[in-house]
This record gives sequence, structure tokens and C-alpha cells, in this order.
Amino acid sequence: MAEPMLVVNNLKKYFKTPGGMLHAVDDISFTLEQGKTLGLVGESGCGKSTTGRVLLRLLDSTGGTMRFEGQDITNIQGAALRKLRRKMQIIFQDPFSSIDPRKTVSQTIREPITTNNIITGKAEVENRVLELMEMVGLTSRLTNTYPHELDGGRRQRIGIARAMAMEPRFIVCDEPVSALDVSIQAQILNLLKDLQRSNGLTYIFITHDLAVVHNFSDEIAVMYLGQIVEKSPTEELFKNPMHPYTKALLSAIPIPEYGHKKERIILKGEITSPISPKNECRFQSRCEHAFDKCRSECPPLVEITPGHLVACYLVK
Amino acid sequence: MSEKVLSIENLVVHYELEAETVHAVNGISLSIGKEETLGLVGETGAGKTTAALSIMRLIQSPPGAIKSGAVVLNGRDVTGLPIRRMEAIRGKEVAMIFQDPMTSLDPVFTVGDQIAESIALHEKLSKADAMKRAEEILELVGIPRSRALEYPHQFSGGMKQRVVIAIALSCNPSLLIADEPTTALDVTIQAQVLELMKELKNKYQTAMLMITHDLGVVSEICDNVAVMYAGRIVEVGSAKDIFLHTAHPYTEGLFNSLPNINARVESLKPIPGLMPNPAELPPGCAFAPRCSYAGERCHTSKPVPRELESGHIVECLAYDDPSFQIVRRWGNG
Amino acid sequence: MNGNTCNLQSPASKKAQSHWAGVWRQFRKNKGAMAGLIVVLLAILTALTIGFFVDYDEHVIRQNIPMRLQPPSLEHPLGTDELGRDLMVRILYGSRYSLAVGFGSVGIAALIGIALGAFAGFYGGYKEDVVMRLTDIFAAIPGLLLGAVIVASLGASLTNLILALGLASIPQFVRITRASVLTVRDQEYVEASWVIGLTGRKIIFSHILPNCLSPIIVTATLQVAQNIISASAMSFLGLGVPAPDPEWGALLSAGRSYMRTHGYLTLFPGLSIMLIVLALNLLGDGLRDALDPKLKR
Repeated sequence: MAEPMLVVNNLKKYFKTPGGMLHAVDDISFTLEQGKTLGLVGESGCGKSTTGRVLLRLLDSTGGTMRFEGQDITNIQGAALRKLRRKMQIIFQDPFSSIDPRKTVSQTIREPITTNNIITGKAEVENRVLELMEMVGLTSRLTNTYPHELDGGRRQRIGIARAMAMEPRFIVCDEPVSALDVSIQAQILNLLKDLQRSNGLTYIFITHDLAVVHNFSDEIAVMYLGQIVEKSPTEELFKNPMHPYTKALLSAIPIPEYGHKKERIILKGEITSPISPKNECRFQSRCEHAFDKCRSECPPLVEITPGHLVACYLVK
Repeated sequence: MSEKVLSIENLVVHYELEAETVHAVNGISLSIGKEETLGLVGETGAGKTTAALSIMRLIQSPPGAIKSGAVVLNGRDVTGLPIRRMEAIRGKEVAMIFQDPMTSLDPVFTVGDQIAESIALHEKLSKADAMKRAEEILELVGIPRSRALEYPHQFSGGMKQRVVIAIALSCNPSLLIADEPTTALDVTIQAQVLELMKELKNKYQTAMLMITHDLGVVSEICDNVAVMYAGRIVEVGSAKDIFLHTAHPYTEGLFNSLPNINARVESLKPIPGLMPNPAELPPGCAFAPRCSYAGERCHTSKPVPRELESGHIVECLAYDDPSFQIVRRWGNG
Repeated sequence: MNGNTCNLQSPASKKAQSHWAGVWRQFRKNKGAMAGLIVVLLAILTALTIGFFVDYDEHVIRQNIPMRLQPPSLEHPLGTDELGRDLMVRILYGSRYSLAVGFGSVGIAALIGIALGAFAGFYGGYKEDVVMRLTDIFAAIPGLLLGAVIVASLGASLTNLILALGLASIPQFVRITRASVLTVRDQEYVEASWVIGLTGRKIIFSHILPNCLSPIIVTATLQVAQNIISASAMSFLGLGVPAPDPEWGALLSAGRSYMRTHGYLTLFPGLSIMLIVLALNLLGDGLRDALDPKLKR
């Protein structure tokens, strides 16, 4: 079998802080097949966005390797990196800060095309811009408007069009809908899904919202303090969550149904500091099942049932 | 009927800017009884926060102005009260929690001082007694007494929001307005805070106005629900009415656009289009341009409130046809 | 079939309105700033056109001893100086020097300062440290003293004055540019620019600097005012534009000896300096308010 599109091995990203090394991403590994979506789920500070930025080489990794379409991309630079970025793109969370406020809609979408000489010829480029705008559901009337005149949903569409202009094969979606209202959220999610279908895109979908990834991903990796604590096909994860953190996360989501009663796991305390973590399970301080071993060793991610990996000593 | 803590009648709030008038709240009426929690649901720009700020008389004026209507708090209309009287009411009778716990606390005072200040302001207590009360309240929201001497930056987001809740409840207000209190928090922390709010609400028998865009939070904590769209309350009823007998097409659209955690669907069903600009509202029903049921009349005449069942009121012209029904796609309806 | 092709016609977009159109609308509301703008524009207009109306040799510097020290009259609205030259003509002509020094020195400072500040802010690390520490050292020398040293070593002339004040104002621009580059650098659209393959230099020029302009423009305006004062001070000390050129500070200095008997000789040049500096300050403050995104709408 050919190698998967993306292979990540033991990826690490540490940041130097006055208090010590911040382990933002600490030894994570996963693979992603062409055309699939991996949901990267976790709460703020768990390292999910850092992972996305390291993958796109917006940040340099501290350790580990990344292979994309058979090519080692861990340390590539310069022209090779620019070439890689034709294939890898990102859609950002904040539709307000991810678009240059001084550029019109068409200027923003045109920039990747002209910078990379994807298409040449003035008229051809203009046509392509209009085509991209139509692709993401922006009327051509908006070509000369500025971002501040547009709402979050439409700005997010501009960001998507800018990414699509590169004709990428792989996109990191970094919380693309969490800043949007629900009715607009669904519009953008559907748009992303349609683009995936029509262009054969591969996604990493970063979010804190399990309900969103449930609909979107083929596989989900749950992150906690820089590590993947559970990874499984989507349906399996929702039916049979194994890690205590995943269980708590799932039970914490308020369900919009009347009289929905479920036993809720209320975690005590909050995420502990990712600065210079000890060699222990990072969840143990909040875990009611923690025992001695959890405090003396960090549990490895092991396959419990086919495709379902969990990092917890309780799960056998 | 039972005594009302808050009743709003036909409130209209505009922001009068130089270039345009923003019709933020366009005649809303609602009431909250003792110990009751009303969820005010809607999207960005629906006028939820403006409505809440009007109750507190905290609308920035100019450009904001309460054009008409009444806000009756514990039996008296506060819209015309002198600002001095209003200051005495704020915090004592009605308290408010804001969305962002990071900016609602003053970074240069200790957490204990900030709670004590609010107590000392409204209740005639000595400094030492107020501090003691403050520590008790901190404990109540699950923060150890000893941390009263710490500064806000030493607290995490969830703990800060607890402190904000502690300050809001310090004078035992009869009404608590919570404006998206958990939106900025992580889900597991949100669960903690919601649990705490439920507990305290029962303990203090406080009435609550819960402003949120999250129908999940509503189902969690609210007895009644009012759905707001473009400055109008388009549907109001008990939580059961809203969740099980959804009547307004907008409410239906909200439910349909939510990804369901329990069932995977091929594609979501969003509400097409955008909320109208509150400075240029359409002549008819504000939702008509996005509504799949809208007939010709919806674009020209404004719908009036119609009571479907006792307490379940909807503003939609489609119900002129007695056989009209909407279709919720999923849920236990 | 669904949200993908949803209708997006809303009344939101009437006419494309650029950032600057909004700034101008905001600015226009500020009466003081508008007055400042008008005064500054009039001064610039005077400086540019005065040469067409008066002859330098004939009207500005030619001595006319019999007419010396005349008080203001119809013929000489602001009186004449100790060498019998019309004070009004000299003041109007002097606007050339004052404005040239103000704008010229700020131009030099901005060019160098913005480049260094953008470089330091964007690349960070040791590059930033080097630039900023050098700036600190430079800023530790009093501006007037630095100017005096440069003029003293190169000789007193208009060009040297511009150069001296320009160099002395560089730190201002380095600091303000670096500070605003730092805030813009971390915006997601800058990351997005990397991802679509732009080079660092391109990102600085097309995405970062345009978004840093507001504080730089305000600083520049206020700095012009500051430098006009400094230039006058240096001319007053004899380090600025040499006689007989009617730079305002030089006029002030020359009139000093006659202050008791002929007060108008110091009053009018002083008023001119005050008026242009006040106008520039009003303009700068107005720009600051108009450019502040928080105050918009």
C-alpha cells in the first residue's frame, strides 16, 4: 500500500518561556489518508492550533518528522517550502484578523494567484477571481468591497477563497466556524464539505466543538496538554469513548434537547500548566480514577481495538 | 398570576448615529417571575445585549436611547428613574455578568477586595465584615477562602468567571442578568460554571435572564425561552414549547443548523442569507427574506404576536392558516 | 442545494468605501482639526507661491535704512525691521524655511526610521536588539545638542539644519514603527500571507506597513511641529539658517535687541511660529482620533 498523504511521527513543539519549556505539542503521531478528514479536538491550550501551524511550517518543530506525499517536509526552506504551500493551505479561526483590512475582496483573493503565477494574463486572473468567489458563494457585486463592510460569514468565505486559489490538496481548518453564529456556521461547514467532495481535499479540522467534528471527520484525535489521549474513527469515538477525559468532554456538551438527562461528569479543577510537565499522566490531577501508576509514568497511546487508540492505564 | 420580578413592555431602543438609526430593539415584551430563568436566545446583532443593558440602564447615551416602553423591576418602572436611584438599584436588585471574565475584573485589586467593595457599597457593613462576607461568598462559588488575597491574573478563566458570579450574587439581587456567561469558556469549564449557576440560583431563589446563542445551554438551565430576531421576540414559551413544539420558522432554522452530536447527517441545513441590517429593516416580517415559508404578505406586513397555547406566543403570519405546521428535522419533537 | 450557494444579497454593501474615506468623514467632524488643516494648507500654499509675488533680492533682503524700525502702518502692515525691510514679506517668505525644515527633516527621519523600525519589528531576535539598542543610544543624546554638534561641524546652512534635525528625530520613528509592526505582525492575515507564498519583504510592504500607517502619520505630523520649534530655537541661537534669510527663529533673534521699543519685531514672528505649531498639533490630534479604529462609528 502506498504511504498515506500525511505521516507525522513524534512531533514536538516547545516554546521557551520565562517559567521553563512550554510543551505545546509533545510527541504526537498520526497519519492521514488522501481525501479524508481528521478532527483534532481539545480545549484551549491543548496544542491543537500549534500542531496545525507546525504542519504548515509556520512554526518550526522542536522534534519529530512530518512527511507529506512521500516528501520529508520537517525542515524544508525557501523555494521548496513555497512550492509545498501550493499544496497545503490553512483556513483561520478569526474572520476579522485573518483578512487584511486594507485590501478589497478581489485583491485578497487575487494575491495568491499573482504571487505564484498560477494563472497569467490580466483578464484570466480576473475571471479566476470571480470563479473562486462564486465557488465560495460570494456574489461578484462584492469584488470591490472592504472586509469591514462584511459580516463574519462572508469574511470567512474570503479566507476560504484565498486558500482555494492556491489549488491545494490539503487544508488545515483551524476552528473555521467557532467565531460564527450557528446559522452561518452551518453554511460554512456545508461549503467546506462540498469543496472537499468536488476537489478531493484532505482536511485536518481543528476544533473544540465535538458536535461540529462529529459531522465532519472520518477520524478524531482528542488532545490534552500537547498529547493525543485518544484517537479513533468518529462513530466509534462517540459510541465508545474510553479515555476519562474524552468521556468528560462528551458529557460536558450541553445538548439542545428538552429534558435531556444524562449523567454528567463534572471535572474538578482546570487544565494544569503545560510548562515543564512531570513524567505522569497529564490528566491525572483531574481524573477521579487516577492511581499510583498514573502519577509516576506517562501512559503511551496504545491500540485497544482496531483503529481505536487510547493513552490510559485504566483501559485494557 | 404570580408576582413578576421583571416585566418589560413594548421596549424600543434605537442607536441614533449621524448617518443612520440602528433599530436595535423594536418593541419587545417579556416577563420573569420569582425564581424563574428566562433564556433570551438569538444571534449576534439580534438585540439581546441591548435589551439587557436597557434593563440596567447602561445603554451608552448618546447614541443609544430608550424610545418607548417600560422596564418594570420589582414593581416600578426604571426607565425614567434618575441615574442616582438607578445606581443604588444596580448590584442590589439586579446584577449582571458579562461574557468576558478577563475584562470584568480590575487587575489592580485583589479578588477579595473587589467582592467586598460591592458588598460595602450596597449594605452598610464595616470593611472587615464586608471582607468576611466576601470570603464566604468565594467559598460558595468553590474557591478557597485563602485565595481572596490574590489578584485576578492569578486566576484561570473559569475561576475568574466564578469570581464575577460571586460579585454579582454578593448582595443577593432579585434578578441576575447573565450575558453569554460561558461562551468564552471551554466545555468542561462551562459545565462546571453552569452547574454552579444552577446550584446558586436554587439556593438564593434568584430570578435569571440568561442571554445566550447556545440552545444547549438553554435546555440546560432555562424554564422559559424567548427567541429574538432583528430586535423582536419572534417566539416565546416554556422550554418545552420551544424545544418540542417549535413554532417559528426562525427557531426551526436555528435547530436545523445545529450539528447534532447524537446523529451524523450528510449535510446541515443552514438558514440561507443573513440577518437584515438593523438600520434598514424590511417593511414586512424581518425574517421573511430568509424564510422558506414566506408568502407575499410576509414581505409587506408586520406579523403580530399570536398565542398558540397558553404562554406560547409566536410572531408569524403563516399561522393565519390554521393548518400551518413547521418541520423540525431532528430532535425529540 | 444548500448553504453553499445561498443568496448573499443583503443591503450591506452600497458602495465600496475605502478606509481613507471613513477616516476623512470622521476627521471632518473635528472642527479644531479642520481649522488646523486649513492653516497648514494655507502655509504650504504660501510657501510654494510666495516666490511668484515677491522678489527675493528686491523685497526680502534689500536693506532700506531710511525706512528702518517703522511701526505697523498701511504700507507696512507689520512694520519694518532694523534694516528697513518689510516684516510681513519677510515672515511670509520665511514660511519657506520653516516648513522646509519641518517637513524635510521629518521626511528624512521617517524614511530611515520606518525602514529600521519595520526591520526590527518584523524580524525580531538579535536583529531587533541591535537596532533598538542603537536607537536607545541615539535617543539618549538631547536632540538640540545633537543638532548643534552637526551644524557646528558641517557649518550653518538650511540643508545642514534639515539634516541635523532629521537625524535627531529618527528614534521617534523607529520606536513607533516597531511598536505597531509588532501588533500587526501577529495578525492571522500575516500568517496567511506566508502560507500563500509571499516573501518577507513583500509582506512588510503590502500587508504590514499599510496597516501601521495611522500612528506613523500622527507621529510625523506632531514631529513636524516639534522640528519647526527646534529649528527656530537653533536659528535663535545662531546655529540655524544664516542671515539674511528670514527664517522665523532668526527673525525672532534679530528682533530681540529691539524688544522694549519695537515689540512687534518679536511678536509677529513668534505668533507665526505659534500658529503653525498649534495648527500642526490640532491636525495631529484630529488625525489620531480619526484613525483610531475604536472611535469609529
